[in-house]
This record gives sequence, structure tokens and C-alpha cells, in this order.
Amino acid sequence: MTNLSVAATRRWKLAGRYGLASLLLVFFVFPIYWLFIISFKTPDEIFHFPPVWYPKSLQFANYAVLFKDGDAVSVLNSLILAGVSTVIAMIFGTMCAYSLVRFKTGGEDFAVWVISQRLMPPIAIIFPIFLLYVYLGWVDSYGGLIILYTAFNLPYVIWMMRGYIEDIPLELEESALVDGCSRWAVLWKVVFPMARTGLFATAVFTFVFAWNEFIFALVLTRTEVVTYTVQVTHYFGGQSNFWAKIAAMSALGTVPVFITVSLLQRFLVRGISMGAVKG
Amino acid sequence: MSDVRISGLHKTFGTVHVLKGIDLEIPAGEFTVLVGPSGCGKSTLLRTIAGLEEVGQGDISISGVNVNSLRPRDRNIAMVFQNYALYPYLSVFENIAFGLRARKMEDHEVRLRVNSAADMLGITGLLDRFPKQLSGGQRQRVAIGRAIVRKPQLFLFDEPLSNLDAQLRDEMRGEIKKLHQDLGITMVYVTHDQIEAMTLADRIVLMREGRIEQMGSPLNVYEQPATRFVAGFLGSPKINFISGELVDAGDRQAMRLSDGEIIPLPKRTQAWGQSIVLGIRPQHLGRSTDSKVKAGEVKLSRPIEIVQPTGSRTYVTIKIGGTQCIAETESMETGRPGETIDLSFDLQHAIFFDPTSGAAII
Amino acid sequence: MTSASHADNSGGAHHPSRRMPDHNFRYWIIAPSVFLLLLIGLFPLIYSLVVSFQQITMTDYDTSFAGLTNYAQLFDDARLWQSIAHTLIITIIALPIELVFGLAMAHLFLERMPGRQIFISLIVLPTVISPVVAGATWRLLFDQRYGPINQVIGWFAGHDVIMLWNITPHLVYPAILICEVWQWTPFMFLILLAALSNVDKSLTEAAELDGAGFWRIFFKIVLPAIWPVMAIAILIRGVDLFRIFDVIWALTSGGPGTMTETISIYTYVQGFQQFESSYTAAIAFLIVGLMSVIVIWAIRRMGLAK
Repeated sequence: MTNLSVAATRRWKLAGRYGLASLLLVFFVFPIYWLFIISFKTPDEIFHFPPVWYPKSLQFANYAVLFKDGDAVSVLNSLILAGVSTVIAMIFGTMCAYSLVRFKTGGEDFAVWVISQRLMPPIAIIFPIFLLYVYLGWVDSYGGLIILYTAFNLPYVIWMMRGYIEDIPLELEESALVDGCSRWAVLWKVVFPMARTGLFATAVFTFVFAWNEFIFALVLTRTEVVTYTVQVTHYFGGQSNFWAKIAAMSALGTVPVFITVSLLQRFLVRGISMGAVKG
Repeated sequence: MSDVRISGLHKTFGTVHVLKGIDLEIPAGEFTVLVGPSGCGKSTLLRTIAGLEEVGQGDISISGVNVNSLRPRDRNIAMVFQNYALYPYLSVFENIAFGLRARKMEDHEVRLRVNSAADMLGITGLLDRFPKQLSGGQRQRVAIGRAIVRKPQLFLFDEPLSNLDAQLRDEMRGEIKKLHQDLGITMVYVTHDQIEAMTLADRIVLMREGRIEQMGSPLNVYEQPATRFVAGFLGSPKINFISGELVDAGDRQAMRLSDGEIIPLPKRTQAWGQSIVLGIRPQHLGRSTDSKVKAGEVKLSRPIEIVQPTGSRTYVTIKIGGTQCIAETESMETGRPGETIDLSFDLQHAIFFDPTSGAAII
Repeated sequence: MTSASHADNSGGAHHPSRRMPDHNFRYWIIAPSVFLLLLIGLFPLIYSLVVSFQQITMTDYDTSFAGLTNYAQLFDDARLWQSIAHTLIITIIALPIELVFGLAMAHLFLERMPGRQIFISLIVLPTVISPVVAGATWRLLFDQRYGPINQVIGWFAGHDVIMLWNITPHLVYPAILICEVWQWTPFMFLILLAALSNVDKSLTEAAELDGAGFWRIFFKIVLPAIWPVMAIAILIRGVDLFRIFDVIWALTSGGPGTMTETISIYTYVQGFQQFESSYTAAIAFLIVGLMSVIVIWAIRRMGLAK
């Protein structure tokens, strides 16, 4: 009898957990569903009262418009800026992290300074940077934004790679030194290959941060290198928003992020917690 | 083949003085073992020879060339590490070839050398595998292979066997010894294991707290320890130390133990203070079957406390002068705890130490 | 023989002096990073300081020394203090909600159940979306006529509801907070779930056997165990909330009027819409100075750099 009731209680508990979990799922996933579904609706379905919960058929017209108008170039811009800046930040940042780990360069003060840069509000640094870029003629250029994205992501890369490099056994490097490698060769032939998983995971998150960035792009782009995040805001207009374009452009920018992050599930916690949780 | 000369070497890490004036000559072609308890500076000394640590003060020269400011890769040495230091992302072949590739050796020469090294170590069949697919002993062989393909002038080992289980350790010890005999390269080997030190070394360098306590051939160091520390470090089971008082017994000096036993000293000594320590190794403290007392022989009878048979020999624990001592006998018939056993040792095997300085005095 | 074999074996490497010495290596490899970090870490600070002592405005490029005029103006700028207040309100409300909500969710998913990983993977999605897209998404959801939220509220109310989420003063903050909580609770959830999973089970089980209740176990054992990780999560989120910009830009652009203007939005308006260069520089310097103190204190406090 008792066993039965225990089993029953357990079943009810599990059912309760599924119930709550489903509610949470609706709350967190429905908005994403709505965004994506709007991008597939016809104008009539979008501006229909009451709202249409799912379209009759999936329309790709909204995406076609983005490509026809050339607005989709902003996704390419995001790709170039995020891609190039990630590669540079990974190389420089890993080198710097290696120096911090192996030689304790700059000591704890330097490490604190580096990580604190990650937490600075972008708005406070963007204004002087903007004035500098105007002076240098770097506004609305790939180079200017790539440098800024690289710099802004460096603390993160240094921080994450520091953790991964600490996991490399010192003996591997020493053995290479004795075997005839220079310090540079040790970096390329031992440290980079040993940390390749960490490099990959960190690179993906760095890429996502640059890809999703908004303020710098808002301030420093005009027409040539507009990113998808800035492009989305261009469709807001007082009372009449370009709903279809907002949704389609957002979806274009979001799908790549979803794909990359879902491939990296097991690095997600370490990635977003800045290495606080190693899992 | 080359010799290593170290003079006046000091090394500090922060406020810790790790090496306190090391003077050491390692003759070409010899197998030298640096041994000592952990923290004695033996690994630091080896790493300084390798160039992985900078020389603080003093000089190190290899083959007559001062290497103080040479980087590790310019010293033409090879080193085998405790954890093998194999690159997990490279095949066994590429692991062994690593040093050759780092020196941009031609590919066919690399192949030749790797294959002959693999042959020598019996790992030819493993060349395509990756380190994680190997057993501990195989990894160790690969690590040694990586060192020998380089044909270095000096071979360094940093506790290479400490991660292996006991049986493999014995086996690899033999192979390292054979390697030295075959190659004839100067080898410097660090270990905390006194058996490894005794079996491998042409010369033992026993270190303690950043200084060299004693060096010499294994037998020499074993039989004529310069200090109580050396005597206690080498040998298993450990040497017995028995404290007593220095007394005059007519024409000669003697030692009186706390249980009243009088042990004559073989020679007169300056009476440093009143106490003295007798060291006698278990294998020299044997069972006495003869009732006659030979010259220089000391006989004792004591109640047995513990009996530990090992098969080939038996260890008997008794109390002499208030300290627990171990005697080693070959026979299995030693008696049972509580029974009395007759023991004897030859005075020429006894070593006497000054209790304050620890130095051997007779 | 020995020297010959030496030269042979070390190949081209026996001319150490010709190569870059290894002992400067550590500085060579941080040089590019340090240069770039100075660009965003030191240059803005110094430049802000210089400009803040001048009198550059949209109409007048006046670089003459202004003394502390701009800083004095900070104190009289009601809109600035109001924007700081807005920022703090959002931070103080959103942070505890995300923390508690995230912790509760972590508890819900702590035990195994079939499909758990799928639930987690989906729930985490909002966190990786660009904040500006998140804001845009909720703008669509909150639309008074074609958005689904008013529709759902209408079902419960029993009649059509028209709530102007991004216009009505008492609705804009809830709108912003809902969006924030939606996007960042999964962040807290994921980190706290990992932290909770790492808590030594034998500790909680032993306490359970000793008869300790759920809350007692939570406060005495679980919380101390997850605190180091939780503190870092709070730091990261706290700083993010303090610099909130993207979501508000997309949702309300600081409106209605200046009702939802945060410090970041206000600085942007001053600098890039009103071009009050010197005054903006003073604000920027104030923010960087303030944040540096808080952030560096927090990093040291948590031993993050060790």
C-alpha cells in the first residue's frame, strides 16, 4: 500500500515538473516562434485582428524582398566584421593569455585590468572612439569596426583562454623547449594544438558577441558596413513599423547563432559564465 | 658524450633558497643519479642543467662550454619527463620525430632515425597509434624514443618511472640501464626512490635541503655514509639507529645503551659530548647460532616483538637501547613474539654518528 | 667531436644571438593585445578627460579651457540623474527576479527526467539572441492590435484589450522588465543549474538524514556552495543591466518622453543627437570612473584574477 502511494506521489511530482517545464517552455520559446512566424506571413496575416497564430502557408516573400533591396548585405557585413575580428582576437588574445599564465606577465593587477575592460559600458568608450574615428576617417569602414570589435572582445578571449591554457601540462611545453623549439614554436606547435577545443569554443562565443553587437555598429556605421542588428532598427518608424522586414532580418541574423550555439551545448555554460563554471 | 661541470650554483624561488651552492662534476659517459627526499632541490638542479630554470648564481658547463645563457634547445640535451610529456594530438611516430622536425631535419633522415629508435625500444608496431591508445609502459618507451632519436650529448631523466606500477618500474629500470650501456651517453637521472638510485647509478649524488650531502659509487655511499641522513636514506628496511652514552671502558671507549648494554667502539674517538648514535643495518644484525664470540663481534639477546617473514628472509623487530630495531635473518625459524632471540653483529659494519652534527665519526 | 655533433644536431639554431631572445618573448606576445586594450581601455579615459575640460558643442568647436564647468553641469542636470535612477530601478528589479526565477528553474531541472536536455536547450535560446533583436521581438509581441499579448490578456479579461505597452507610462517599465527577464533568466538558469549540479550530493543527503528541512539545507549547504559562481553571475548581469541600451533602444527608444531613458541612452542622445561633445565626455568620464571603481573592487573581492 505504502509503496503504491509513494509511486503515485512520484508520478504526480513528475507530471507537475513536466507541467511547469512546459509552461516555461512556452514563455521562453513562444516569442521566438512569433518572430520567425511573422517572417513567413503575408501582409494580410501580419496585420490581422485578431492575430493569426500560424500562417496558412510559409511565404518566403519577406526574405526575397531583403535580398532584392540589398538589405541582406547587412548580414554579410556582420559576418565579415564578426569573422575577421574573431580570428584576430583569438590569435592576439591567446598569445596574451599564454603570457599571463606562463610568465605571470603584469601580475594580478594586469589581469584585473584586462577583465575589468570586459565589464565597461560600451557607451562610455564609444564617444571618444567616435571622435577618434572621425578624425582618422575610419567611420563606416570595415577596418575601423574590426579593430574595435577585436579590442572589445580581447578581454573575453584572454579570460577564457587563460583558463584553457592553465589546463595544459607544463611538461609538454618544457619537453618541446628541450627538443629544439623556440618559444614561438612552442606556442604554435604545442599550446595552440593543445588548446584547440578551448580555442574553438571561445572563438564561437567571441563570434556570437561580435555578431550580436549593436551600439558600436549603430554609432560607427552609416551605409557601407551596416550590420544586421542596425539594419533591424532601420525598419522601426514611429507608428508604422515594417513588421515583415523586422522579423525576416532578425530571423536571418538569429538562425546562425542558434545553429552554432546548439552545436556547442557543452561549452555553453563555461562560455557565458566567463569560465566561472567549468563543465 | 660529454661531461657536465657545475660550480657554486645557487638558485632561489622568491624567498626560498632551493639550491645552496652546488659543486658537481659529472664525468662523460657516466650514469649519475640525483637522489633525495622531495624538496631537496634535485629536480631544480636537473631543470637548471636542462635550461628550464635560469642559473641564479654560479656556472654550468657542458662539454666545456658554459651554458648559463644558452636556451634549452641550444644545449643539445634530451629530457624524459615524469608524465612522459607526449603530445596527444600527434601519432607516436610524430611524437618521436618532434625534436627532429623542430630542427628541420630532412624527411628521409627523420624516418630512418625514428624507425631505428622504435626498433631499439620494440615499439615499431605502435608508430601509427596515438598516445592515449598506449599503456603506461609503452608511453614511457615513446618518451625515451623521442629523446634518443635526437642523439643528444646529454640525457636527463626527471623521475621517469614514478607513474608506473611496481612491476613495470622494475622492467623499465632494466631497460634504461641497458640503454645506457648500449648508447654510452652521459645520463643524469633524478629520483626519490633509493632502489632506483642504487641499481642504476654509476654515481649517486645524494641531496638534502639544497646541498649535496654525499656523492660516490652506490656501494661506497651505502657502506660508508658520511652522515646519519645518508645512512637513513639508503637501504631498505631502514638502518637502525640506537642512541647511547660514550663511556670509558678501561683501555678503550665504549657505548652504553639505555638498557645497560655495553658496546665497545672499534677505535678511540674524540669525545664530542656525551652521547653517540650507533647505526647498524638490518642485514648486518643477524641471528647468532654460534655460542663463541669472535673478535669484533657483538652479541645480544632480546625478546621478539614482531616477526615479518617475506619468504626469502625474515624481519624480526626487537628493542635495543629503548629503540625498535629490525634484524634480518635468512632462516624462517626465528621464534615467536615473546620468545628470546640471540643476535649478533660485526663491529666493522657498525657506523657511529655524532647526534648533533649527524656526521659519521668512526 | 662533441662540438661538431652539437652543431649538427641543433641545425640552424646555434646562433642564438641572431634570433629574438626568449626572455622578451613574454612581452612580444602581449604587445598586440595591450595596444588594442589601450585603445579601448585607456585612450577613451584620457580623451574624455581632455575634452571634458573644453567647451565643444554642436555649434561651437571651442577647445578653450572650461575648467570644471562641464562637471558642475552634471550636478544640475536633472535628466542625467533621472536616467541614472531609471537604470538603477531596472537593475534593482530585474536582477533579483532573474536570480530567483533562474534558481527556481535550475531546481526544477536539477533532477533527471526524460527530455530534460531538450527543454534546457530550447529554454536557453533567448540568451544567445542579440539584445536588439530581443527588443524588436517583444515590440512585435506587445503591439496593441496585432500582437498576441493583448490578445491573450483579452481572453482572460473576457473582452478586447488595448494596452499601449510602449507608450503608456505605467506599462513601459513592465514591458522592458519582461523582455529583460525573458532574455536573461535563462542565463542565470544555466549557470546556476551547472553550479547546483556540482554541489556535493553527500553533503545534502547527510543533512537530509539529520532531519534538516529543504530551506535549511538550501541556506546552510547549497547556497554557500554555489555562492562563488552565483556572485560572478550577479556581477556579469549587474554590469550588463547597468549598461542596458539595445533592448530599450528597440522597445521604447527611451520614451515616452524621457521616461525610460537610461544612462546609456541619455549619453547617446547627448553625444550623437545633440552633439554636446564636451558635456558627453564629462558624462563618459564619470561613468568609466564609477564603473572602474565598482568593477575592480568586485573582481578583487571575488578573487576572479587569481
